[in-house]
Amino acid sequence: MHSNRLGWLLLAPTLLVLGLFGVVPFFYVVWVSFHQWNPFAANPDMIFNGAENFRRLVFDEAFLASLGATVSFVFFAVISELVLGYMLAQAFMKDFPGKGFFRTIHTLPLIMAPIIVGSVWKLMTTPSIGIIPNLLDSWFGFDLNIGQSAAAAFIVTVVMDVWHWTPLVTLSLIAALVSLPQDPFEQAQIDGAGKRQIFWHVTLPMIAPAVLATVFIRLMDALRTVDEVLMLTGGGPGAATRYVGVHIFKEVFPRTNYGYGSAISVIVLYLTIVVCWLLYVGMLAPRNTGKG
Amino acid sequence: MNLSVKLGASALALMLAVGSAFAQDIKVGHPDWWKNAGAKFDGVTLRGVTEATPPSNYISDVLAPAFEDLTGIRVEIETTSWDQMYDKAIKDMEAKTGIYDMVFIEQDIVYAYLARDFLVDFTAELKAHPDLKAANFDEANLTSFADNFRGKDGDLFGMPMEAFIKVYLYRTDLFNDPKVKAAFKKETGHDLVPAKTHAEYAEIARFFTKWGKDHDMKLWGTTAQAHTGHPASWYEFFESVAPTYGVYNWGINPDKNYAATVAHGGSMNSPEAKAALKWWLEMRDLAPPESVQSTWTEVATTFAAGRAAQGLVYGENAAWIASDKNKSRVVGKVGVALPPLEDGVMADAESGKGYIGYYDGGAFGTPVTSKNEEAALLFLQFLALPEIQEDWAAAASRITLTSTYDTPKVKALDKELGGYYTMMREDGKLFRGAPPYPFHAQVREATAQILYKVLTGDLGPDEGLDQMAAKAEEELQTLGYRE
Repeated sequence: MHSNRLGWLLLAPTLLVLGLFGVVPFFYVVWVSFHQWNPFAANPDMIFNGAENFRRLVFDEAFLASLGATVSFVFFAVISELVLGYMLAQAFMKDFPGKGFFRTIHTLPLIMAPIIVGSVWKLMTTPSIGIIPNLLDSWFGFDLNIGQSAAAAFIVTVVMDVWHWTPLVTLSLIAALVSLPQDPFEQAQIDGAGKRQIFWHVTLPMIAPAVLATVFIRLMDALRTVDEVLMLTGGGPGAATRYVGVHIFKEVFPRTNYGYGSAISVIVLYLTIVVCWLLYVGMLAPRNTGKG
Repeated sequence: MNLSVKLGASALALMLAVGSAFAQDIKVGHPDWWKNAGAKFDGVTLRGVTEATPPSNYISDVLAPAFEDLTGIRVEIETTSWDQMYDKAIKDMEAKTGIYDMVFIEQDIVYAYLARDFLVDFTAELKAHPDLKAANFDEANLTSFADNFRGKDGDLFGMPMEAFIKVYLYRTDLFNDPKVKAAFKKETGHDLVPAKTHAEYAEIARFFTKWGKDHDMKLWGTTAQAHTGHPASWYEFFESVAPTYGVYNWGINPDKNYAATVAHGGSMNSPEAKAALKWWLEMRDLAPPESVQSTWTEVATTFAAGRAAQGLVYGENAAWIASDKNKSRVVGKVGVALPPLEDGVMADAESGKGYIGYYDGGAFGTPVTSKNEEAALLFLQFLALPEIQEDWAAAASRITLTSTYDTPKVKALDKELGGYYTMMREDGKLFRGAPPYPFHAQVREATAQILYKVLTGDLGPDEGLDQMAAKAEEELQTLGYRE
């Protein structure tokens, strides 16, 4: 009883901070999402409008387009990061000259603030001035113009995200790979399993929890990408890279559409939870059931 | 000497170096009055939030410490990004938290703040506290830009601290080059002089883009602030180009129930607006490739890099483009002129019916939620003292008092800038800030998406303007301004 009370007492500051800065704002956003509220409207008051904001966003072409663009962005970015991250993690598991140096260098993007990443990539990709369009032009005669080509802008945002976040995946997977016991690998080799078979039937199942955790983190991060993209393309050209985070930013900040912007945030949070749950069920639940 | 002593000495040296770097000798008239006025606010700290621009940085680094020395009132100025600044200021005023005693008010948002009664009436406050009226402060000395911060009864709600006009810059070295002049005359049959009409401007732009190509030079005929995802392009069209075609106030007519479409009495999709957009799109195509990613900053950089022969450039950049050798390749090669116009627009501007371009800038105002309104009143007057203006203008190329034009440093700078300050003084009245709408950012954001589609070619200019006008009316209806 005594230790229970002490436990709660020790947890109290954390719970208080979590409640104040996490739970309360969340419920406030939910509350606002049921209102029409624009402080610069003729009537700046919060007006309760039931589920109208949620009904509206189902038919909002701009929102649906941003959601579609976000799904594509997340899919390509997270898959690329996972594949590249795994390959790099495997490479760093082996010994080679300068391994420590390369491992340090490859984590540097992680310590850069997203806004800086966006600025640097903007400098590198500005049509006709940036180093990347210049090199592509002189090597392949390819005109990279992210201010005009929707496909080019989309690809560059994906590449920028991959460049920024692959090291995180690499580090997570290195940690997972290092902790794996050697016995199953030796047994599989004795049984004559090939590299591919070992990967699918031994390595992957054993690192699945780490992969899933990493995917969750990257998925949630990628879904709420704002700073980098806003800095690089501003959501353009047109609405090509107006991902849902950028869309929410533009609704809530410049347009001060607090009610509707909150509704979009709530829906995006719900969708994120659903996607994560589906991933969990698809990847881990069968494994756990099998064990049980 | 042990490590901690060394570290301490280094820190002290660094502090002294930083302090002396910002220290400036600011002498203000009636120092005793200021000292006595400040004594009433012993222990008060004024807090302000502003955008990190050269004029604001000067306030933070130079003027705030000088004011503190003079009055004993501490001033903390938070300089941050444009959107962060608005976010913080609006949330503070909306939630009535009273964190800030002074907020930066960009000219285009002041009407939204006034509509919400966010700001203290400076004129009324000064009348209510005659003991706080500084002898060396004179409201009549403010330039006409201050009119943008007045309420309906003419009272001042913000103290102007930066003001610029968006001007037509051109390269004097190219325009005066005999070889170029001869080639231009041969090709067009006209003399090469700064354009007065859109047709002349387009002719010059076409010539220089071709000239750059033919001579393998990184030179284009014009700049274009035509970002395909940033509101800078929206601003260039509606505040700099459309007015020169006679489409004022974004084509929205407040007298006709805030109509934007021609059908309802607006002019956003008028033939003039459509002609303006087509002209601007042609200029965008003649501009350097980076123009599709250019905001106001990149336009200035493009011009400073010597990549454009002419362009519409915000005045806040004109000074460094023309005079800062560390940042600009065209120092001493910059001329200033009024923007090209259609027939009748100058007459409209002179009669007050219209305007020829954008008068940009901002002010410092006090939120009604401030807990230190009276102390803030002193600081706002301090920002408008003639004694501090000359160095401030030299450091940040901004002028808000008429008397500043006659100071030696500004006169010298005016020569370097090709007469920019003279133009601002004599023709400033022909320029105007954003229309007095309380729904500025809301309508801009609602319609900008359509403009971006026009810029990417997904939508034609005529169709785009029709859609923008309809969208503006829809947004105004949603906001409750249009019935």
